[in-house]
Amino acid sequence: MTASTEVKPVATGAGAFRRWLYRMSQKYVHWFFIAPALIAVLVVAIYPIVYSTGLSFFRVTFDSRERPFVLFENFAWVLSDPDYRVVFGNTLLYVFVTVSGAFVLGFGAALLLRRITAGRNWLRLILLLPLTIAPIVVGLTWNWMLDPLFGLINWILTGLGLPPQTWLASTSTARIAVMLVDIWQWYPLIFLIMDAGLSGLPRAPYESARLEGASEWTIFRRITLPLLRPVILVALLLRTVDAFRTFDLVRVMTDGGPAYTTETLSLYLYRTAFNFNKLSRAGAGSMIMLLVIGIISALMFRYLYRDVERR
Amino acid sequence: MTISLRQRLSAYVILGILALLIVIPLIAGALTAFKPQIIWVSSPPIWIFQPTLENFEFVFIQRQNLLHLRNSLIIATGSVTIALILGVPAAYALARFRFRGSKGLLQWLISLRMIPPIVVALPFYVLFQTFDLRGTHFGLILAYLTFLIPLVIWMMRGYFVEIPSAMEESAMVEGYSRLQALRKVVLPVVTPGIIATALLNFIFAWNEYFLALILGGRDTSTLPVAAATYVGRARVEWGNLFAVNLIIMLPVIILTIILRRQLVKGLALGLVE
Repeated sequence: MTASTEVKPVATGAGAFRRWLYRMSQKYVHWFFIAPALIAVLVVAIYPIVYSTGLSFFRVTFDSRERPFVLFENFAWVLSDPDYRVVFGNTLLYVFVTVSGAFVLGFGAALLLRRITAGRNWLRLILLLPLTIAPIVVGLTWNWMLDPLFGLINWILTGLGLPPQTWLASTSTARIAVMLVDIWQWYPLIFLIMDAGLSGLPRAPYESARLEGASEWTIFRRITLPLLRPVILVALLLRTVDAFRTFDLVRVMTDGGPAYTTETLSLYLYRTAFNFNKLSRAGAGSMIMLLVIGIISALMFRYLYRDVERR
Repeated sequence: MTISLRQRLSAYVILGILALLIVIPLIAGALTAFKPQIIWVSSPPIWIFQPTLENFEFVFIQRQNLLHLRNSLIIATGSVTIALILGVPAAYALARFRFRGSKGLLQWLISLRMIPPIVVALPFYVLFQTFDLRGTHFGLILAYLTFLIPLVIWMMRGYFVEIPSAMEESAMVEGYSRLQALRKVVLPVVTPGIIATALLNFIFAWNEYFLALILGGRDTSTLPVAAATYVGRARVEWGNLFAVNLIIMLPVIILTIILRRQLVKGLALGLVE
């Protein structure tokens, strides 16, 4: 339809309808572009979530014909399961250790990168690798590195005169080993985000602070940290949410063992559904997980947007 | 800022160690893929040996990992293609039009990335039984759209925002319709962005394990699922395992080198410029 039809004074009903149609198509043109994706997202993401929510209020197993409505029975079962509490605690510890470890290491590396000139881009490239390699591959590679008999790590330890460890088989070291590998894989994400953030900082505040004779530490605390706040929040948000749902790495490295010390929420829910055939209980557990993640991301998003709007 | 020689030197040493810690396990693993069976495991480690391709031959033929490679390729390309077809127009509209709820829609889309996969995996599993989609490529492609579509929209929106809207407006003044302007003027400019988005999404789909484990059947298992079955056996076939690992890793490493500039944007969801 061309612009000339619009200016033509039309009095007939059909013309008015066409003009109305044209105006509507102009006004809502964006929906023609958005609708296909939106419908797809509703089908593949929202429908499953709604279904999952529904599932958690019924008693469902894979072979059940009848699915009686049980209200909160599944939620009560999950919350009173002692294993669930252990696993929830494990997951919180896992999130805390891996996120803070990755943050310190990633931020530290990004700050150190400012001090060097040669080889910067090489380092950035190398640090991208763990992020894009499948967690399965990372886990399997480290299984081999940590092998008690012939692993590279124990070989180095004995070379240094230290006792070799049965890393993934002992309750005292399995947790640490898996968390360290998680940090190995994900601190580069923090590094890259912080590196991008540091590159975007304005120069002026630093110059005036130096003129006033402020120490490096004061400058870092008073200028760098406040300016980087939104970037830090993004990095922490992404990492926290991903750490909370860790599955792949733990699954191939220890499969939750030994003695449940490395069992995470995702692994527990997977087992509840597919090994113990308690589909609706896993559904209830996953709803609780979704809720926790929703709260974490809502809080962080809120701080983030408040920060962005203030500037 | 003046940096003393000692500060610079210590920075080089620490960063050098970090780089080595990343590179050494990857190289040591990759080398094992080419080792003959008698030296798959050895202490002290053997770095120099006569390389062989027998591990690759074994995994492809005896262990049928060629089938898994095919599945991975079909599922990753299929899901990325569909995600692009659906997501690119939506990204364009969200970059160009300001309408009521557009900002909310964007935030809502990004929040979809936070959904734990178990939340969608359970209902998909039940629904796939009902609709007979379990163990089909299409089923997994459908499941992957859950995380691919939001990612495509977010990344592509970033690329569209960078193109001045004056470009298609002047084309429309010259008599093009919006769709024509989009095809002839905007699309050529944004093609590198589409390629980068496609490749990054390919990496995510290619690496995916959880959904593939639960929703894939015997004939639709992907490479990561196949790789994970190598552990947990009485004797781990390390050489064969690393052959599979290398096949998963190699295309990703090549893509990482090509994409290194665009990757940060995609990994940080465009929240950091």
